[in-house]
Amino acid sequence: MDSRKILIVDDNADIRLGMHLRLKANQYQTFFAADAISGVAEAQKHQPDLIILDLGLPGGDGFSVMESLNKIPALATIPIVVVSARDVMGNQKRAFEAGARAFLQKPVNDDELLAVVRQALGEPAATKKPTLHDQASV
Amino acid sequence: MNEKPLQVLLVEDNAGDVRLLREMFSKERRDAFQLTHLLRMSEAETHLAKGGVDIVLLDLGLPDGHGLDTVRRAHAAAPEVPVIVLTGLDDEALAAEAMNAGAQDYLIKGQIENRALPRALRHAIERHRMQTETDLIRTHQLQFKDEFLSHVSHELRSPLTAVRQFVTILLDGLAGELNPEQRQYLEIVLRNVKQLHSMINDLFEVSGVQAGKLKIELQCTSVSDAIAYTVNTLTGAAAAKGIILPADIERTLPSVCADPARVRQILIILVDNAIKFTPQNGTVKIQTRIFEEDPAFLLLEISDSGCGIDPEMTERIFERLFQASGPAAADHNGLGLGLYICKDLVTRQGGKIWAKSTPGQGAVFSVTVPIFSLPKLLAPAFSEERQTERPITIVVTELGSQTGWLSNEVRGEQCRGIRDLLRGCLYSDLDVLLPKMDSTGPAELFFIVAITDGIGGEAICNRIRKQLDSSEHLRQAGLTHSTFYRPLEAIERNSTESKEDFLEKVAIDIQELMSKEISARQVRNG
Repeated sequence: MDSRKILIVDDNADIRLGMHLRLKANQYQTFFAADAISGVAEAQKHQPDLIILDLGLPGGDGFSVMESLNKIPALATIPIVVVSARDVMGNQKRAFEAGARAFLQKPVNDDELLAVVRQALGEPAATKKPTLHDQASV
Repeated sequence: MNEKPLQVLLVEDNAGDVRLLREMFSKERRDAFQLTHLLRMSEAETHLAKGGVDIVLLDLGLPDGHGLDTVRRAHAAAPEVPVIVLTGLDDEALAAEAMNAGAQDYLIKGQIENRALPRALRHAIERHRMQTETDLIRTHQLQFKDEFLSHVSHELRSPLTAVRQFVTILLDGLAGELNPEQRQYLEIVLRNVKQLHSMINDLFEVSGVQAGKLKIELQCTSVSDAIAYTVNTLTGAAAAKGIILPADIERTLPSVCADPARVRQILIILVDNAIKFTPQNGTVKIQTRIFEEDPAFLLLEISDSGCGIDPEMTERIFERLFQASGPAAADHNGLGLGLYICKDLVTRQGGKIWAKSTPGQGAVFSVTVPIFSLPKLLAPAFSEERQTERPITIVVTELGSQTGWLSNEVRGEQCRGIRDLLRGCLYSDLDVLLPKMDSTGPAELFFIVAITDGIGGEAICNRIRKQLDSSEHLRQAGLTHSTFYRPLEAIERNSTESKEDFLEKVAIDIQELMSKEISARQVRNG
């Protein structure tokens, strides 16, 4: 099976590297963007299966990235996991309204991040082979 | 100087008093005051809600409102307008209370000296303006502090994320095998990172405590659920030290009148502390029972077999920034805020917290929480003497969302807003606001019990609807509301029956009706 592609949009290079190492170890392929504008550009270029998105970004913010993605039909359905240092209060609700699948507050626990990524990708459990259309909508 | 005339609203039903006051105003410059006179409180509320009034002269004995209640209603209708209370010679004590309830000043009828009236009005307006300004400055200061803390915490969280990520990457062997010593040192790093994280969270909480901003929403709350949640959350931390948390939780405990989120928070702080200060393979217990000294309270006891507390310190540990000293404490230094936050939460829910300890033999932290009692909540509205209570109206206010489910966040914030608003709609001596009884999926329910006379539920409902309709707060949040009432027959009281027994009887009837309302919705919402 081809490994699933994950785009990491975060302006902190250390965090990008840390997430990359963790995701790579779990057989995911990663791409990076460090600001809002290249976040959208990289998404268009690589068509990732999932985006991990920080909220505080140069050149816009995570919400503006989600807004731009929502306008592009090919990208609008990519699941987004927001990982931010911002307060849960207010931001979580806004992120969900903008279409995010999950909101994690930094500092994030890697196990939790992986669990959320798997869930958002529709990969049910680590023990079970992931199947396509596993989470058909009701 | 070209000033606009001051718009004075006089609410007074006594024709003689009105005539006297009119005479006083007539002696003033014509363009200085414009007087509007109304006879009833309900008219005054409508007039005030329209705006344009600079000051209210308010009688405390109106046909449809009396005592402090009128002050509260005037204040609720137009919080920005100062109120001067008009009172009789024998009512000065009441006037003083009125000032506590928000009035700016009082004037004793028949004792208003020549020219004293305009001066009193202008002073009241000026005082009110200054007070509003001070409040505003304070609000800005608090807001600045909140923003600052939020900023600092944001800035601290990002680097902390990177530290944690790389430590766990190393610990998980993603960058090669570690030798036992390296592993041990990295575990120390990780433990300290976690501690730093919890300190950042504490800082946030404590800024809320000092601003009196930790919101508490009292309701009928299950302590068993809170204990189960706490045990579930902390089992991992306890197991790491070989401590077994009790898994069997007594299910027959009475409900308490408290905020469920805050009860969980209190328990987490205390049990987490107990685990921290207990050595390997020690014991931590959570016990509950009716408080022997006052059966109106439930007692929660969190005991440990740790190092204990110096008996002289058992009070000081609840102070802000208190740090335990001694060898056992050295490893566990937090910011010294946990117990301080805990005490604030306990006392603001009407309970008490204290600690007892014999050094070397562990410590016991005791918390009391008021037991939920419907008769007790109803008591103030029922008089001692009356043999037959008038018909009882139960007003139900239902809060829903236009877009479907209320998110947790909306729920907390908006429900508190609604409760405050409903409280403003109440006649203090006749109506009772019960804690929110239940959430029923997409909606939240609030209950008001009113002992009504002839006007009945319709009038109370209208009063509440009007307030809710004009709430900008609700509209902005995209919330819907509906308010309706359910009547209960007048309830007979036996001549031999004590007030307590009678209240029990009434409470059972009310509880039944409320349960019906709640279950009707649960069926409807699937």
